[in-house]
Amino acid sequence: MKLLRDQINRYLSPGALVILIIAIIAIIIAALLPRQPATGIPMWISAEPHFHAYKPFAREWNERHPERAINLVLLHGTAMERRMLSGFMAGTPVADIIEPNIGVAAKAFAGPLESVGFLDLTERVEAEGLLDKINRPSFAPYTSRGRIFGLPHDVHPVLLAYRADIVEAAGIDVSQIETWEDYFRVLRPLMVDTTGDGRPNRYLLEAWHTNPHAPSIILLQAGGMLIDENDRPALNYPRNAEVLARLITWMAGPNRVCVDIETYSASGHRQRLDGLAVGFLVPDWMAGSWKRENPGLGGKLKLMPIPAWEKGGRRTSVAGGTMLGFNRHTEHFETAWEFAKELYLSPVLAEQMFRDTNIITPVKALWDSPIFDQPDPFFSGQPSGRLYIEQAPHVPRRPSSPYVVSGLERFTNVLGALRRYADRNQIYDEAALRIEAQRLLDEAQAEFERFIGRNVFLARAP
Amino acid sequence: MPVKRLLSFLLHALLFFFAALTLIPFVYMLCGALKSKFDFAATVFLPAGDGWFGIGWDRLTLENFTRLFTDLGLPRALHNSLLLASVSSILTVLCCAMGGYALAKHKFRGQNLVMGVVLAALIIPGPLLLAPSFQLLYKLDLLDTYAGLLLPGLAPAFGVFLFRQAMLNSVPNELLEAARMDGAGEFRIFFELVVPIIRPMLGAFLMISFMGMWNNFIGPQIILQSPELHPLSVALNNLKGIYGTDYGLIMAGTLVSIAPVMCLFLLLQKEFISGLTSGAVKG
Amino acid sequence: MKATRFNPAPWLFLAPFLGIFCLFTIWPLLRSFILALQQTYGPGTTEWVGLHNFRYLLTDPLFWKAAANTVRFTLGSLLVQLPIALGLALLLNRPGIRGRGFFRLTFFAPSLVGLPFVAMLFAPILEKRTGLINATLHQLFPLWDPEFAWMQEYVMSSLILAALWMYAGFNMVYFLAALQNVSKDLLEAAEIDGANAWQRFRHVTLPEIAPIAGFITLLSVIGSFQMFELSFILLNNSGGPENRGLTIMMYLYQSGFVVGDLGYASAIGWVLALTLMGIALFQRWAARRYEER
Repeated sequence: MKLLRDQINRYLSPGALVILIIAIIAIIIAALLPRQPATGIPMWISAEPHFHAYKPFAREWNERHPERAINLVLLHGTAMERRMLSGFMAGTPVADIIEPNIGVAAKAFAGPLESVGFLDLTERVEAEGLLDKINRPSFAPYTSRGRIFGLPHDVHPVLLAYRADIVEAAGIDVSQIETWEDYFRVLRPLMVDTTGDGRPNRYLLEAWHTNPHAPSIILLQAGGMLIDENDRPALNYPRNAEVLARLITWMAGPNRVCVDIETYSASGHRQRLDGLAVGFLVPDWMAGSWKRENPGLGGKLKLMPIPAWEKGGRRTSVAGGTMLGFNRHTEHFETAWEFAKELYLSPVLAEQMFRDTNIITPVKALWDSPIFDQPDPFFSGQPSGRLYIEQAPHVPRRPSSPYVVSGLERFTNVLGALRRYADRNQIYDEAALRIEAQRLLDEAQAEFERFIGRNVFLARAP
Repeated sequence: MPVKRLLSFLLHALLFFFAALTLIPFVYMLCGALKSKFDFAATVFLPAGDGWFGIGWDRLTLENFTRLFTDLGLPRALHNSLLLASVSSILTVLCCAMGGYALAKHKFRGQNLVMGVVLAALIIPGPLLLAPSFQLLYKLDLLDTYAGLLLPGLAPAFGVFLFRQAMLNSVPNELLEAARMDGAGEFRIFFELVVPIIRPMLGAFLMISFMGMWNNFIGPQIILQSPELHPLSVALNNLKGIYGTDYGLIMAGTLVSIAPVMCLFLLLQKEFISGLTSGAVKG
Repeated sequence: MKATRFNPAPWLFLAPFLGIFCLFTIWPLLRSFILALQQTYGPGTTEWVGLHNFRYLLTDPLFWKAAANTVRFTLGSLLVQLPIALGLALLLNRPGIRGRGFFRLTFFAPSLVGLPFVAMLFAPILEKRTGLINATLHQLFPLWDPEFAWMQEYVMSSLILAALWMYAGFNMVYFLAALQNVSKDLLEAAEIDGANAWQRFRHVTLPEIAPIAGFITLLSVIGSFQMFELSFILLNNSGGPENRGLTIMMYLYQSGFVVGDLGYASAIGWVLALTLMGIALFQRWAARRYEER
């Protein structure tokens, strides 16, 4: 025994021996691991709340159709993006049913039309009258070069959530607010420095130039656009410059009212709970996410339509979105299609979805359900479902383009550049900033056009 | 002398200060791994409470680890990491040691050409090969397989170079000649005579390759698509995507991910550090 | 005599290495010339575009942003990390330091963590308000802004900080090895000649450790230029606000594997490779000149 040990020791140091043993054991385990049994038709989901809401539905479906079972798989958005694109472009395995978010889905539209990895659903959708059942504009982000590649999962209208506890304690009445101007004027007394360190501990709106969440919502609300109806870049649209200039007057200078809170982080939840901001732009899904991630906010918030950009203007916007599409090479299309339709049109699931995630359905016939009228304790007893549905028909339309994400990136870059310009020159006047904003946007537009023009595959398309 | 003692005290204090700065993130990770996400956001280290030292000992939880090892599929990723790192390091060391041996201790036609190519390849940065390798793996149908991740890394030019340098000086030619006279086969000579001499180098390079694969992120990120194949680095980043605000969970996962390498390092510490620095000091 | 007969042994020893090396290093290297002249959508769909990739690259603001960030990260890493590493090594190398083994192990430990895991560890550390740094500093010094925006406004500094934590001890080990090779006799002779501590460092220690310092610098530059994991993981797979965290490697990754244009990724790879080769050659030239002096 000792001889053997000496013998081994001659060749291998103890650490090397350990690595060797690890390798042997790992290989044995790998050999013994059962091959993944076929557990059903895979469906990739990137939103965790969707996954949990679909689970009971799929279980019930699988009991009804054991021979056509569906297997739900939860993937993070970027993991799905990588796997989906790798599959579409390089042939690695992709699920039969895929539910990507709007930005990920759009990236599948960058190649030649015949290389889009999603199955073309245009005929099916038209033949079965889905265009009329489901909120029609919601198809737009998933339609590329006239072909429909996905079913919309949601509408995602945006409301303004405000800290009702703080506002009401100060005796402020928000019912008089119609425009952003009103909003900031009425709430101005709340901007205070309670600790005496020279910094306000409370701001009026969560919005910042380094975080595209709020700027993109306000841009769409105000009628700005990054890509026009014909999928051409439209960064230098004059309305965009106006939005940029006004946003800077909110975020910088003597009249600053906005504060930077990270949208999806633990510290962000903490900052909201601590009351760093009074108002937040909250799409329906985010309300659901806050209920789970930040339960301490419950009962402190109320909802109202977003203050209008100008008198009589739109009181809502849109943020996020998810579609359901099918792998072009699926062998189970009929089953997948049937499942998808049941899933997306089911009244039971729509109610379940709302209960779990606060997301309202895009199926118009279901909007009358009484579940949307139930008082919501998280929002101080307001019927949050009804408030979102009231705004659903007014959400702005969004185009489909693989370049929406990079357009938004360029837009926020201009916002940052404008902020630096304002601080450098101490210019915080909207009209003056607008000139510079337009100049920056023109530059960005030229660069954006060059960037898109580089894609030989899109350029070749009809 | 008091001045000297004061100086010595100050220097030690400085060292302790830096050591504390170095260790705090580890402590933070350990504390975080034992907290729920709400406690994580509420306190920096251990949760406040009314236990000893004002700490809520009863709020510490192993829940994060339980979740990782049951629902969230971490054991599979741990296995993948162990498999990929151990197999790749062993094969890499074999490949490089044998290649280095041939270049150091044999004379053959074409030797200069091979050596020249190896030397030239030393300065090719990895990123340049990323895109063409991906295309090659696609053509070989190796995407999304262990082999696709393992094979390209088995023959690093610098490994062969290191082993050649190590053997040039440390393996005496007379010994090899004597063995050849005795009629020993070439492979027997290599494994019986050469391997024991370069044992420290083997250990060091094993550790380096093991860590290289263990901490590899962009490779598996690009090549491995199925979650059943993901190593810890990619699997944990995907968890971070889904449970991004649940830092307790992420810290627990990070802890699990770095513990094996730490243990291995303690076993291979001497060889590893001397191996790391020997190349530099001599070269 | 013997050498004239063909001896298969060396080729057999070389075979595994050479086979894999040719297939997975030499062949992709040759392919990358071709690929750089194409535009692709995934590895299967390709289209010739000639030199357009390079022409576009030279005027691509994103590429230049990434290059600037990468250079900033590299310089920051060098200027902060190496002096601290050298300082720690000098401290540890002083006679009469107790617990040398403990300190060396402690300082070295972070480099065992691995870049992806360092990034995950630093995600909560760099948060606002609840993060380790901001919460602690705010408690110690109430004037410290708990909303200090590490990962929004000071992205590169944050990454440099994370890299500092990870690599300072690693580089220290190199410096320590070099310092232990410095001749004690020379140092004593200099002390007897009345040279003060700084003069001894400047005229005895520094020249002795200069070669290894050059080597460490080169390694750090090459490593920093390829930085990917820190920004990718800490910024949730994006370039961060205004692409402040975008590095050349990340841009290469995004172009090749998110957009799917392996051709453009190859072009970026070539620019990066030529830069690094230039730096390596420059270092060798400088080292040689230094030795000749």
